[in-house]
Amino acid sequence: MTDQTLTDTTGNADTMGYWQKVARDGPRMGFWFVLPTLLLLLFIVVFPLLMQLYLSFTWWTPLEGIPWYQAWEVFNWGENYWFMITDPRFWGALWRTVLIMIVAVPAQFFLGMALAYLFIDKFPGRKIFYSIMLTPMMIVPAVVGLMFFLLFQGTGPVNDHLGLPAEFSWLTDVNRAMISVIIADIWQWTPLMFLILLAGMLGVPSDQLLAAKLLGGSNWQNFVKIILPRMKTVIIIALVLRAVECFKIFDLVFIMTKGGPGVQTETISVFLYKQTFGDLEWAYVATIGLSILIALSILAVKGLSYMAKK
Amino acid sequence: MKTSASAMALKYFFVLLASAVVLYPLLWMVTMAFKPYPEWTTVSGLTWFPQNPTWQNFEFIFYGHAEGLVVSLDRTISGPLIASLVTSICGTLIAVVCGTLSSYAVVRFGLAQSLPLSVLQLRLFPPLAVMIPVMVMWAFIGAVDTWWGLSLIYGIVTLPFAFWLMKTFFEEVPVEIEDAARVAGCSYWRVFYRITLPIVKPGLATCALFVFILNWSDYLLALLLTQKEWVTLPVYMATLTSAMGGQMYGMKAALGVIAAIPPVVFGLMIQKHLVRGLTFGALKQ
Repeated sequence: MTDQTLTDTTGNADTMGYWQKVARDGPRMGFWFVLPTLLLLLFIVVFPLLMQLYLSFTWWTPLEGIPWYQAWEVFNWGENYWFMITDPRFWGALWRTVLIMIVAVPAQFFLGMALAYLFIDKFPGRKIFYSIMLTPMMIVPAVVGLMFFLLFQGTGPVNDHLGLPAEFSWLTDVNRAMISVIIADIWQWTPLMFLILLAGMLGVPSDQLLAAKLLGGSNWQNFVKIILPRMKTVIIIALVLRAVECFKIFDLVFIMTKGGPGVQTETISVFLYKQTFGDLEWAYVATIGLSILIALSILAVKGLSYMAKK
Repeated sequence: MKTSASAMALKYFFVLLASAVVLYPLLWMVTMAFKPYPEWTTVSGLTWFPQNPTWQNFEFIFYGHAEGLVVSLDRTISGPLIASLVTSICGTLIAVVCGTLSSYAVVRFGLAQSLPLSVLQLRLFPPLAVMIPVMVMWAFIGAVDTWWGLSLIYGIVTLPFAFWLMKTFFEEVPVEIEDAARVAGCSYWRVFYRITLPIVKPGLATCALFVFILNWSDYLLALLLTQKEWVTLPVYMATLTSAMGGQMYGMKAALGVIAAIPPVVFGLMIQKHLVRGLTFGALKQ
């Protein structure tokens, strides 16, 4: 299909090839445009979902040499689901994921908000500092994991600069491992909050702010009464985005602590990874995955309809 | 708005403090990459800057051995580097081509109105919750540990970003321009190819860089879907420790620096559009 054929403006419908006809027919061309994406979606959503549902009702693992389509031979009537509900390790991992979320996301939010407020007005060097602020979120998460892995070593700089002995461990300590992971997450993703919230703040009409200022509003009053209400959508977007991504957290944790010590920093993703490669419980992983999918979908639908109502 | 000198000083204090917090871990990794073995830990005292700066760490990961080191590597960085580049670029191509075409059809022809939301859903779920069927499928079609298998999954998981980003760019193109061209006798394809695409070219470049960053940053998918031949940089970096026994801080830091450079450079290049990309076009700067 060359360009020349498509410039033909006097083409007679009978002599045109199929693609020429498509090029002249908007919706038909649109169909061909959408097709690859639709195929990819079908490929990655419909079939895998059915397979996941199927496998979740069996004891199938890749170890026993049964091909996945013959997994019905080890059908187990939903025992996986019962096992999941009574599996303390699963609930523990879920709780730790939520814990990271409810600590890290608000921290990122407040820090990001404060930083954004600093960057509202122009000041010398603003551009450079702005770029510096954005850097963490562009670094590969696995590398961020490595960075904090280096920092939090017993013989590393954090202990050295805080004057703590080398025996004061972070990543292998029952309580501090979690703190380290959360600090790393906050370090990496506060910039995202900052970026989005600053964009929202700059979207507040400056004449409104100026007027409020002239009328004698204090900075705090202006912030609460003028800026915040106008940033509502932005704030919701920022929080939802971060919460969704935070729930997936894997790279940081896995590189820093591998979920340890014990299961102290094991999040849902790390737990699923260990089940997949350590224990090869693929059917069980499929069960949990499907349950998470359903739960998140319900949450998403609820959230969307709630937002639509507002 | 005028600010007093003391307010300004306070502002600079906080800005500098924040910058210091941001730079602390970064600087540590970068200087670590240039430190020779004895300076890695507190055992012989830590310093911010290498006392005896060396290229030894980089030499080691590129050649597999370095002067003064007894150990050697059986795999150098070249394989993972190429794997990362190839899979990220191919994945980006898939995502950008599919995303561009389909978002254009959705914006201009009003086709597949449910597509935007269903594409978005792909981003909602933790990858591990859906990976079992994907791994089974990939094994079934022989795509595990191949460049195209990894590229394909990269293309799929970053498709939502490409789709939504391009959607916002297309929405900014005035439909009148296209109509005018069509009245002049251009076919739909020609209007798209010769008029609309050139207009959104900067957007297309932004989109490609953005998606490339996302693909390059992946760790989990490569961890699940590659074994040896097509292991990417982050996976290679993480396995270095276990393979070597000792904690190769300097080498890992050198690897981290290499892996971190492309996304940071590209990210700063497309700074203006980052908000739009990260919020799926919900916000513009």
